Amino acid sequence: MSRFQRFPTASPRRILACRAAALFVAIAIVGLVLAACGRNVGELGRLVLISTIGSRFGLEDLALFMSPLLLTGSAVTVTRRMGLWNIGGEGQFYLGAVGAAGIGLFVHGPAILILPLMALAAMLCGMAWIALPALARAFAGVNEIITTLLLNFVASLLVYWLATGPWRDRVTGALASSGRLPVSIPDMWGVVHWGFPLGLLIVVGLAAVMSSTRWGYEVRISGASAGVARYAGMPVKLRIISAMLLSGALAALAGMFEVAGTVHRLQGGMADNFGYLGIVVAVLARGSCLAVIPAALLMALILDVGIVLQTQQVAATAVLAITGLVLLLVAIADECAHYRPVTPAIVRPARSAS
Amino acid sequence: MTLPGGTPPVLQLQGVSKYFPGVIANEDVTLDVRPGEILGLLGENGAGKSTLMNIVTGIYQADAGEIILDGYGAEFASPQDAIRAGIGMVHQHFKLVPAFTVAENIHLGWSETPKWTSKAVLEARTRALSERFGFPVDPSARVESLSAGEQQRVEILRVLSREARLLILDEPTAVLTPQETRELFAALRAFRATGNAVIIISHKLDEVMDITDRVTVLRAGRNVGTWNTADCSPEMLAATMVGREISRQNLRVRSGDAVGVSDVPVMTLRGVGVRNERNVPTLSDVTLDIFGGEILGIAGVAGNGQRELTEVLTGLIAPSSGVILLDGASAPDNAAAFAAAGVGHIPQDRLNSALAPSLGITDNMALREYGQPPIGGGALYHGGAARSLAEEIATTADVRIPDFAMPVRNLSGGNQQRLVARREIRIADRVLVAAYPSRGLDIGAIAAMHGYFAALRDKGVAVVIVSEDLGELLSLSDRLGVLCGGRLMAVLDAAEADIERVGLLMAGRGGAS
Ligand SMILES: Nc1ncnc2c1ncn2[C@@H]1O[C@H](COP(=O)(O)OP(=O)(O)OP(=O)(O)O)[C@@H](O)[C@H]1O
Ligand SMILES: [Mg+2]
Repeated sequence: MSRFQRFPTASPRRILACRAAALFVAIAIVGLVLAACGRNVGELGRLVLISTIGSRFGLEDLALFMSPLLLTGSAVTVTRRMGLWNIGGEGQFYLGAVGAAGIGLFVHGPAILILPLMALAAMLCGMAWIALPALARAFAGVNEIITTLLLNFVASLLVYWLATGPWRDRVTGALASSGRLPVSIPDMWGVVHWGFPLGLLIVVGLAAVMSSTRWGYEVRISGASAGVARYAGMPVKLRIISAMLLSGALAALAGMFEVAGTVHRLQGGMADNFGYLGIVVAVLARGSCLAVIPAALLMALILDVGIVLQTQQVAATAVLAITGLVLLLVAIADECAHYRPVTPAIVRPARSAS
Repeated sequence: MTLPGGTPPVLQLQGVSKYFPGVIANEDVTLDVRPGEILGLLGENGAGKSTLMNIVTGIYQADAGEIILDGYGAEFASPQDAIRAGIGMVHQHFKLVPAFTVAENIHLGWSETPKWTSKAVLEARTRALSERFGFPVDPSARVESLSAGEQQRVEILRVLSREARLLILDEPTAVLTPQETRELFAALRAFRATGNAVIIISHKLDEVMDITDRVTVLRAGRNVGTWNTADCSPEMLAATMVGREISRQNLRVRSGDAVGVSDVPVMTLRGVGVRNERNVPTLSDVTLDIFGGEILGIAGVAGNGQRELTEVLTGLIAPSSGVILLDGASAPDNAAAFAAAGVGHIPQDRLNSALAPSLGITDNMALREYGQPPIGGGALYHGGAARSLAEEIATTADVRIPDFAMPVRNLSGGNQQRLVARREIRIADRVLVAAYPSRGLDIGAIAAMHGYFAALRDKGVAVVIVSEDLGELLSLSDRLGVLCGGRLMAVLDAAEADIERVGLLMAGRGGAS
């Protein structure tokens, strides 16, 4: 006799297999819906494939989408480990962009010096932006979800004001952005800049920090049980603050990469939801740092597909719908991965004399 | 075994088996419970008692076998099904919502809760239920502010209000004071008198002898037999559970190469007082010397300052008045430094304050030693070394673990306790503070742990044991302190202490020694 039973742990391989199935189902559903709308699904599919993984330009686009997602995704993952949510990736992304643009626009020097300085300034700005929520959480228990979220709107407006006001482009007279930065992150492959491999490296480094440092262990314990952290005498407040600051710095670095690698100016709306999508990436990665990489890839694919579909007159909101569908199916797949058929080790007759 | 003709058993299990990865939790268990009886379910830690009852109440599904209710086959897909069929369970670890009031907890997830209602209505309904079943509770109190005994009353009331005919209690007396236990037993007898049935899991054999009509013993997941309690003796039950005789040695006798009691105290409290958040004193003016190489018992009715005393002794809270000296120097001010100085702590509520239930066994076992080599040292954490430590602790604690990444909450209650105890004994070079250490342990494990305490004492470590079990305290301690109302009434020489005197001190009389 064998039956399905829910197990407390699911091996990564099972989760992966179930998720692959979920993606397959998602593709099938999207295809069916498009077909029902009278689209030529075969033709659309060919187009999507070519313009994502089927061509060099597609791959370049994917990498460009992935770089910020890697960082904002790990930003949220870091706080998840502590049992917290940083919903403010968007705001810290903006502040990172502001910090980086500030240095880029007003400090002049060789790129080899200016770029690290920009990264530093970006991270400091991001940390400063999350500092208030972090302190309020650590010392007053103020819910960080609300505080980090609200600061996003402030940050977005701040960038609009800077880009259209004091820092606006006086050379070309463009009204919506700052002037072009004199330095930029060098490209390594087509339009893909060195921020992409750096982002991958940061994710791997972060995974190492989480699993093999004392800090990572303390964050894991404090995040899992406040009672135990107190019992073991761990500095929980410090861990809350440091994890949140690290998270802010990571999201801000994404902003710096975007300013110095892709956009080359400070622009209103430039965060493009990357901060919020970082939450999706973190949820897909289930709190594991390394899993942020495939999760970011998946998210980048969805974004890319969305753009292709838009050029084919499919509504922009379709991207949101597809994202939602994928998330839902992946959640179901994760749950399914916990079920395994079990066969009793020794099969006995149900009745026996006692 | 034949049934007295006529009434079918309330519940019958036929060849029930349950397997977890790498573990046979239950195999081929057959038992029955009749109307109007209290059945005891006994067995060592990890014998599968909780799992079996979780199958009966629909939390787990059996891999083989049948559940027969009132003579008809039944299958419960969820706890709700079991409740509808009249089976209610009070779990080893309570399942109440701490932030909710008693009335809200009683009405949570209950089909008879009025759809539109108010606080006052819920509280009135709760009051009526509490009178009807004879379980006094305060409907408006928040559950987190209640003592363990009070929380348990809420749990039982919750189950009874759903018209349970079969009440299952998983180690109900582990967290109760003797007085609360007597009240519980009186209520259970009243419940039985109306033709209902009870299954009670317990490791306390004298209670089993007192309350049950029949006992069933599980060993390694299998049913080894069912007896009428009148035909049993505690010794015989113990031997059946463990599968061998348990030898009791006199633990007060020190081994030949014992270090002996130190001349200077390892820890000293001078006029120590603690106030809670509402500024009410919960511990007042405690002055106490604790010497290396002695076992100091702390007796008292629960809630008289035991928690505060253990937390002060382990650095979890700083006293609001008085001083604490560790080895003659003023003590550090945080729990980590106390642990590093060799103060181990087995706290009252292990699952939530000594273990992170959702994390793996490895992470949980590294809790005390992650700061030093081989696991730590500098800023690093070596997962491999942590794993070997966890394996070592599990081996010495005699706990079989199929998967070290498995969340620690999947271990049986007693096995969690064994692991915590071993982890703390490892680091206790100076002092070990153990609160209710034998709670949840089977007899064999209690004997083993008492042996460890004696060995620590012989090594020159000071062992402080907080317990309500005077028998346990008197058999182990060199000296016995008595707490009442947050005051240390007296510290007696255990060899000369008589139970009557201690009883009076626990009630707050006859102080001034
Ligand atoms: N969800 C689970 N996943 C894996 N193993 C489990 C799970 N629940 C229980 N077990 C294992 O099944 C065995 C029986 O556990 P159970 O909790 O029934 O013991 P018990 O008799 O209640 O012991 P105790 O007296 O210590 O409470 C143990 O080895 C335990 O580790
Ligand atoms: Mg149990």
